[in-house]
Amino acid sequence: MKYFLIILLPLITVNTFAQDSTKVYKKRVLESTEVDFLMSYYTQDGDNASVTGGIGTEELTDLTPTIVVSYPLNDDDVLTIDVGISAYSSASSSNLNPWDSSGASGGEDDDDDDDDDFRKAAGSVEGSPWVASSGASGQDTWANGSVNYSHSSDDRNFIWSGHVSFSTEYDYTSIGFGGAVTKLFNEKNTEITFGAQAYLDTWNPMYPTELDSYLETEGNLNNGFFDGIEILNQDGNAIDKTGNSGPIWNPENYDFINDKARNSYSVSISFSQILSKKAQASVFFDIVHQQGWLANPMQRVYFADKDNYYIGNPDGIPVYTTKENTNVFHLADDIERLPDTRFKTPIGFRFNYFVNETISLRTYYRYYFDDWGVNSHTASLEVPIKIGGKFTLYPSYRFYTQTAADYFAPYNEHLSTDEFYTSDYDLSEFDANQYGFGISYTDIFTKARVWKYGIKNIDLRFHTYDRSNGLSAWIISGGIKFVMQ
Amino acid sequence: MNMRKYVLLGFAIISLSSCVVVKEYEKVNINDPDMKLSDSSVERFKTNFQVYREASVGGNGGKTGGGCGCN
Repeated sequence: MKYFLIILLPLITVNTFAQDSTKVYKKRVLESTEVDFLMSYYTQDGDNASVTGGIGTEELTDLTPTIVVSYPLNDDDVLTIDVGISAYSSASSSNLNPWDSSGASGGEDDDDDDDDDFRKAAGSVEGSPWVASSGASGQDTWANGSVNYSHSSDDRNFIWSGHVSFSTEYDYTSIGFGGAVTKLFNEKNTEITFGAQAYLDTWNPMYPTELDSYLETEGNLNNGFFDGIEILNQDGNAIDKTGNSGPIWNPENYDFINDKARNSYSVSISFSQILSKKAQASVFFDIVHQQGWLANPMQRVYFADKDNYYIGNPDGIPVYTTKENTNVFHLADDIERLPDTRFKTPIGFRFNYFVNETISLRTYYRYYFDDWGVNSHTASLEVPIKIGGKFTLYPSYRFYTQTAADYFAPYNEHLSTDEFYTSDYDLSEFDANQYGFGISYTDIFTKARVWKYGIKNIDLRFHTYDRSNGLSAWIISGGIKFVMQ
Repeated sequence: MNMRKYVLLGFAIISLSSCVVVKEYEKVNINDPDMKLSDSSVERFKTNFQVYREASVGGNGGKTGGGCGCN
């Protein structure tokens, strides 16, 4: 709240001076206060969960209520406040502790390593990458707030803006800020925007239960979390956990992360051009530099050159990588490790064409490459179709393809001698097809009202998304825009 | 694509600005809401999940990463 006051006070001051000096008529940048209520529901499923090392259920649902208020401070200045949450439930994340049948937050211990609760369940210990656990890490809420201020010159040919943002979830906090300047010229046929933004993010790292406990017990497999728990080898036989009569599970690469910061800096240039009375295009070019802990400490990795050890039912080991496995879990060799810098370069191109009073074409293409070895192409087409004066349909298609990051390998295929490794399938090679459909109601006269606000627009969109590696998802989004009368 | 090609592409696009000047009163089609060179506000959620599920980000005039434990 202190930060919001620091930001708002100068803006209110600017507003006061601006009102005094605005003596001549000019069209307001924003005629009156607008309020957007937005909401989406997203769900996905797949078989390559990264928390469980590249196999396992990726079932996830996410609900995101959001409100955006745009307030005209005067003819030239607009203040926009954007507040939202994202409440999600993830089977993959729940398997940070796959053996948690009692619930991490249900006991006295409020963390998610669950070593206390785990011992209560000893004797009937069952977990699987294919079954969601009841652990606290299975649900979280990401909350976000941002404030944007923009100022337009009297001739509307120059615009500058600045924004600050804050977001938080259980294991992650972010502070963001940035600004942009836009210059229009050539009778507003040409527009160039320069922008820069920074996000200063911090991990509150959560680790896979067995790895976290391994460090807590200093490698003593007869203590703490492991007390009274049988550890099985690949043949399903219980090992001597003292190590006196054979090899034992030993995640020797593992340690807590030493850098909890993840900072992202970007500069952006966009160029827009009206090409004719019916066509316009734009080019977007970004340079993004990230540094800090760019891996996710929740995500397990398994090494091909290390023996495999399990907790649970030995009968499930031969079918471990299939959904038939409901009660045995492979102890991790490490968490994913990735370089502490990443340099991303996307360049995007849009071309929109007004075919006639009924149909428009909206096209988009992006080429992306980074220094982790990822190259991607994105192409999309949306065809708005107007029906009557107030309704528009939005059929759309999007194709996406990417190469794998240099550090990606599937479950149990990395080598312990590698410097970097991940089994996160978001960094794997895949294609994706997305089909969408939407409908929009627009009433520029805002005849329908709720209290002092007229309904200007109602939007509803639905998209399905299928990746070539098996992940499938769909999202439904809706929004209502009110305008103060 | 190397930097030289980007520069050439930039010049090619800028040169388009000299092709035609559409007057304000001729922009009725260009000013149609469906002709905006950006996504509508309701599309933000779709873009968000793409940022999580894909390794690429940016190049669309929107967010370019950061602010979440994702990409």
